[in-house]
Amino acid sequence: MLEIKDLSFRYSRHSPMVLQGVDLVLKDGEIGILLGKNGSGKTTLFKNILCIQKPQGGSIRFDGEDLLKMKRQERARRVAYVPQSIHFGALSVFDTVLMGRVSYFGYKAGKEDEDAVWAILRDMRLEDYAARNVEQLSGGERQKIAIARALAQEPRLLVFDEPTGNLDIANEQLILSEAQRVAKEKNIGILTSLHDLNQALDLGDRFFFMKDGQIRHTGGPEIVTEAVIREIFDAEVRIVEIEGKKIIINGGQKT
Amino acid sequence: MDTQSNFYKEHHKKTSTYVFGLQIHLTFQNNIPPGGLLARTRGDYYTSMRVRSDLDKNRRKNTAALLLLTTAVIVLAFVCLFVGSSHMSISECFAALAKKGSAAQVRIIWNIRIPRVLAAIIAGAGLSVSGLIMQTNLNNPMASPSTLGVSNAAVFGANLSIIAFAGGFLDTGNHLANYSVGANPYATSLMAFLFSTLSILLILGLCRIRAFQPGVVVLAGIAIGSVWTAATTILQFYATDVGLSAAVIWTFGDLGRATYRTDWIMSVVVAVGIGYFAFMSWRFNALLSGDAAAKSMGVAVDRLRSVSMLLASVITAVCVSFLGIIGFVGIICPHVTKKLLGHDHRVSIPASALSGSILLLLADTLSRSLGNGSALPVGAITSLLGAPFFLAIIFSRKGEHN
Repeated sequence: MLEIKDLSFRYSRHSPMVLQGVDLVLKDGEIGILLGKNGSGKTTLFKNILCIQKPQGGSIRFDGEDLLKMKRQERARRVAYVPQSIHFGALSVFDTVLMGRVSYFGYKAGKEDEDAVWAILRDMRLEDYAARNVEQLSGGERQKIAIARALAQEPRLLVFDEPTGNLDIANEQLILSEAQRVAKEKNIGILTSLHDLNQALDLGDRFFFMKDGQIRHTGGPEIVTEAVIREIFDAEVRIVEIEGKKIIINGGQKT
Repeated sequence: MDTQSNFYKEHHKKTSTYVFGLQIHLTFQNNIPPGGLLARTRGDYYTSMRVRSDLDKNRRKNTAALLLLTTAVIVLAFVCLFVGSSHMSISECFAALAKKGSAAQVRIIWNIRIPRVLAAIIAGAGLSVSGLIMQTNLNNPMASPSTLGVSNAAVFGANLSIIAFAGGFLDTGNHLANYSVGANPYATSLMAFLFSTLSILLILGLCRIRAFQPGVVVLAGIAIGSVWTAATTILQFYATDVGLSAAVIWTFGDLGRATYRTDWIMSVVVAVGIGYFAFMSWRFNALLSGDAAAKSMGVAVDRLRSVSMLLASVITAVCVSFLGIIGFVGIICPHVTKKLLGHDHRVSIPASALSGSILLLLADTLSRSLGNGSALPVGAITSLLGAPFFLAIIFSRKGEHN
């Protein structure tokens, strides 16, 4: 579905490359997780995929179509975004989610747009919130609203930048299970970044290890090894298996 | 389930205005133990009923607010029409309105007061909506209609026209009447407008380089604005006493300068602007979530921002060029409406427009009744009138914002 080839990006002609020769493939309904240090280029890669920033070289294809040359409305119907920091302005939850359909209705929302929003709110058990002011909700609730708005775009791919950045553990679990449900039930691909490697192992189908603007390793859970983590994060960890599940534990200070 | 049962208790408390039959069901609903199958299915049904009616209630509230504001504009327009230095009675005013009174009274109403009232409505709406659009575009509550240096540039243009051309080159003598805007209505306005436009284009052009980053636009506006102010100061330093006072008097906003022709020009510009903004309501709503989110939803953020800032600035430039500086309307009115009615541009654009008209009508009525024959500067009255109200709104805990 999503096919990125040899992508490169830098802010201006004189600044260093932020992304270099990035190749990435993600299939329908797959959860892909970018792993890497802060500043390794994860957010920049997301913004390139969403065409918030235009890459200098390489191609981003979506079902064979060039995402970079697509009309922005067309693109919004394929790829949706849940940003890292979420703010909305004082609108009702219903209107906030309805806003996600702006690429369909353009100027004035119609009956079918409103119905679509009700369906999403019902599906995500957010109906109770519809009339509430979105600014008065908690961080976890707002994250859910942001997901609902992204789903209102009826995307095939959801780009989800650090979904658990500012959440407590209960909300973290809630959001991650929601993401998983969306991917499996609606067959929407999800590309996300996480800092917690155990969470990543729980959630992800494919892993992309990034360092210095390049993807160094790609693959399933089997590529998450002590050596790879040492190379990418400069951190010592140990991987143990409990009941057939990989668990990453802190390996203590570097010696 | 637990949250649901809480929800019903709350629901039951709050909805005393419900239809009688429905209320009985809800009481019944309250007694069903959480987790019961019946509670689940009926619960969903009533949840959706309640939430939908809440949403409808919000929408009705907004419609009612807009109707109320419209009524207030109409009522105030008449009040404003009936107050003035000639002390006409209300019946005389009505007679003059029907062109039946004495010739002088008909002239006062039709040639002096109506253009003035129209100017208050049009300029109030235009300045207020411009402020709202600037604040949304620049994601900055302090942004105002003249963020792009419009007012400063207009003052410079007008000063140049009054001091350098009328006072210097044309040598019209030291008689104040020769400087009055009434004697030469369009030259000064045209100069003011030309320099405002220059300032707008300069700043928008500069900001294109940095892709309209909001912070950069605001700072560029401050920098260019201060250049105009400095140039004005130098110009005024060389002015004659009379030229200087005429130039300073020009900067006091005065709705009395309006004629039918200026009203026409302003109304066309304001209508085009507000029409465009209203059309783009959803995109502005998306912009409230930040540039990245708006772009990902398919909004052409850079184009929206440049076009709407240009339009908002042109509205301001036209109003300021014809009427002088009328400050603060573009900050007070949008903030009060946003605080009371929320940020949805489908509501805040018309509500800001109407409240801007209201403030300017009120200020003008007051300025003419306090001025004892001559109207006090309306720009000063808007601030005097608006600032306490503004502070009260900002510091109150009520309202949706916060």
